[in-house]
Amino acid sequence: MSAPGTITRMAADAPPEVRPVHVRAGRLEHRLGLLAALGGFGMIALTYAPMLWLGIMSVSADPLGGLPGPFTLEWYDRLFTDRRWVGPLLASMGCGAVVGLACAASGLLVARALPQLRARGALLIAFLAPLFIPGVLLGAGLFLYLRVFLGLRLGWWSVFLAHFAWAYPFALLALLVTTTRFDTRLNDAAADLGAGPWRRFVDVEFPLIMPGVVSAALFGFLLSFNELARTILLRGTATTLPLFEWAQATSHSSNVPLIFALATLVLLASLLLIGVSFWMLFGRAADR
Amino acid sequence: MLRTTLILFIAVWAVFVVVPVALLVLWSFLEMKDYSFSSGLSTAAYAAVFDSGRYEVTLRTLRIAGLVTAIELGLALPFALWLAKGVRSSMLKAMVLALLTVPFFISLASRTIVWRSVLSRSGLVNTALMHFGIVEQPVDWLLFSEFSVHLGLLAPSFPTMVLPIFLSISLIDDELIEAARDLGAPPAKVLGDVILPLALPGIIAGIIFTFVPLLGETVVPQLLGGGRVSMLGASISSLLQVLNYPVAAALSTLVLGILAALFIALRLIGGGSIAAVFEGMKR
Repeated sequence: MSAPGTITRMAADAPPEVRPVHVRAGRLEHRLGLLAALGGFGMIALTYAPMLWLGIMSVSADPLGGLPGPFTLEWYDRLFTDRRWVGPLLASMGCGAVVGLACAASGLLVARALPQLRARGALLIAFLAPLFIPGVLLGAGLFLYLRVFLGLRLGWWSVFLAHFAWAYPFALLALLVTTTRFDTRLNDAAADLGAGPWRRFVDVEFPLIMPGVVSAALFGFLLSFNELARTILLRGTATTLPLFEWAQATSHSSNVPLIFALATLVLLASLLLIGVSFWMLFGRAADR
Repeated sequence: MLRTTLILFIAVWAVFVVVPVALLVLWSFLEMKDYSFSSGLSTAAYAAVFDSGRYEVTLRTLRIAGLVTAIELGLALPFALWLAKGVRSSMLKAMVLALLTVPFFISLASRTIVWRSVLSRSGLVNTALMHFGIVEQPVDWLLFSEFSVHLGLLAPSFPTMVLPIFLSISLIDDELIEAARDLGAPPAKVLGDVILPLALPGIIAGIIFTFVPLLGETVVPQLLGGGRVSMLGASISSLLQVLNYPVAAALSTLVLGILAALFIALRLIGGGSIAAVFEGMKR
């Protein structure tokens, strides 16, 4: 990855622009700013505290009780004897992998072409629609269309379809971050030096947008792996890990402690993957 | 060949994502025959929507989603302004944005179910309240009530409000703000006459991204409402299970109608320029 480094450094050596104007903050604004920050960080705390609490209670003797402790690994131990979750876990991982690969490949196709298309605004709205259409609506729409109208038998293929539609906007956005930053003049330069279209893509473009591709695949995997609202309607006979957890959590409360342990493990794995994809997408760009 | 594949993919997306959602409107006007749709048109489904029970669910859903959206807006607008214009350190900015993005990829059910151990009769809050002698008996409206549903919805709906507003405010040129100041505008006037009008598209987008998904939320009301706080999303699911397809489609159409109205509002105020997304990406 030395070539991109050189290029940005060259750009940094270019004559500096006029110094940007900074917004000056008075004392009143400073105080109001602190208040605003407090509110926002409060919501962020409200987001992450339950995740932390989930982990703490998963190693407590009574996860549904009020206070943590006495601490025990009993519930994790039980996960190794009661192995009904292994099947759904493997199925979810498989489904997530397929969704991730499909997202990366089709996302790459669209993200490279979209900024140059004339109808990009309308297309982008169509591709981002699943972000703001409630999951149950997409689920109901697909269910009525596939099952009732077309009379098809639902199963993993329809679960895949729903997961793909849900994950695709995120994958596309991750890829657009990198493709819109890609300097197309590099392709022209490569062409001048005699490189064909395939060679230009493999040797020039792909290495530079690779972080977006990997992030898109990881986002697709994670969103599929954790999806519930749409899966419920399109499952057919398929069972994913979130569906299994959901069934356990809503039917037998004696199984809830196991769900705490299982959910904690999934949470830790998810956070790890998110960390990797964020680092690929933004962290390395900042290093340069 | 690349072009053919692209057109093919756009067609697949239209057929399997856009068309199924759009057809919901059609289904809502069809009659049912033998557990399938017949060709007869009818508005019976809409009459059924306004039946006593379902009408109540619709109103409750609008009220809960509206209140949560209002709270999010009240917290998100100042926070986005602070984040976009008040924070100098790009490191801090990136960290906050990351913290706001991570929750999209975490299972909502696991984040929600843990509230049960905090709010239940023997949970954290009641244990604390009784320990400090504030209450004698455990408070039981904390869980399986509208309160717990509101509380559970708050954190998951915050990022969808902050991020669009943040994007639109950070696209406002700092020189515009400074120019208004140099001309003697007090902070309130800068906010009202410069920042808010320019941030309005982001605000409407935030409302679309937050309010509309809240109308269809299924996980939180079921886990924290305990069957007592039923909302539209669960209604649609259960109508599908009892094969009452037209009414399920009519409820969905209602939500789509609200979505369309908000989109029109966005167009009317002249925002919603999707090109801004491409601009924002380059930063």
